[in-house]
Amino acid sequence: MKLALRIVIFVFVILPHVSSFGGARHFGFIYEAPTSAPGSFELENWVTWARTTDPERSDEVSFRHEIEIGVTDRLQASIYLADWFYENSPGHSGSTYSDSALELIYNLTNPVIDPIGLSLYQEYKVGDRLFEWESKLIAQKNFGPLILAYNATLEAVWEGQGLTEREGEFQQALGASYEISPRISVGLEFLHEFLFPDWDDAERIRNVFIGPNVSYRHNSWFVTVTALAQPTNTPDEPEFQLRTIFGFGF
Amino acid sequence: MFIGLFCGCQSDSYAPPPPVTSQMLAASVRKESHANFAMLREGRTLFVHRCIECHTLPPVWRYRTDEWPGIVSSMSHRSSLKPAEREAVVAYILAVRSQR
Repeated sequence: MKLALRIVIFVFVILPHVSSFGGARHFGFIYEAPTSAPGSFELENWVTWARTTDPERSDEVSFRHEIEIGVTDRLQASIYLADWFYENSPGHSGSTYSDSALELIYNLTNPVIDPIGLSLYQEYKVGDRLFEWESKLIAQKNFGPLILAYNATLEAVWEGQGLTEREGEFQQALGASYEISPRISVGLEFLHEFLFPDWDDAERIRNVFIGPNVSYRHNSWFVTVTALAQPTNTPDEPEFQLRTIFGFGF
Repeated sequence: MFIGLFCGCQSDSYAPPPPVTSQMLAASVRKESHANFAMLREGRTLFVHRCIECHTLPPVWRYRTDEWPGIVSSMSHRSSLKPAEREAVVAYILAVRSQR
């Protein structure tokens, strides 16, 4: 039996009887400290549209298909089955497979009863002439219906022939989400990126993104949308990004 | 805006769910609950961990005593709560309420 057929049978026949919802996201670009319940299973689809206008106009729509699994009370694992993107620029137009990845999140403390909720995040991404390593500290505090979240992310990328091209990034992200009702939340997200081409800070590239988010959840599914604009006008970086995450549990 | 929201959210109704105490257990037993200390502790742990995977934690005073079992039951599949765990969450919520 082909592997693809086995996966389809597993996802649509077996999992509905053994699993449940993994949880809803309040943010599009920021991770939250709570991890999924043990035994939960969720499929998330991400769509991110990014428009760059400097030095020339181009559009990229990237897709992520992710399976999220609650392993224990504190450990959550995710598999990015495929990250791929469609690009439309003056020099190129078409779809490209980018990578697949494994993501692990370990929860340390709770954002409601502890002074601050903390989780550790580790991601390994492998693609065509690409290896990426990403670590993240996730902090969160819940004040009643208000969620404040902070992520500090360190990312290292090796790519190209022989993986000789190197790039690093440090990112800080801060977000707030206010629950208007148990189903609807609205908020703000703020990203501050430090890019290190060839692991060097000679170019001193800094990006800032800021914008609103909205999240809606109902029964076993949720959708979260975040729109970010870049006020820093860094060349070759998106001027605008719109991310939608649609997740559902079985 | 956030400062204003902070202040509003720190009112008593949104205070973190209290730890289980012997007074809470005694008040719960007076209301004819069959809960014990371990059950209430497990209920609190599950309440503060599982419920916030989808939404923020509602104050235990938001809904009536007779509404809570149905509310927890309706979300138990989504939060992977087994029947005994569901019972523990409800027992904890009702125990907190029984103190007033």
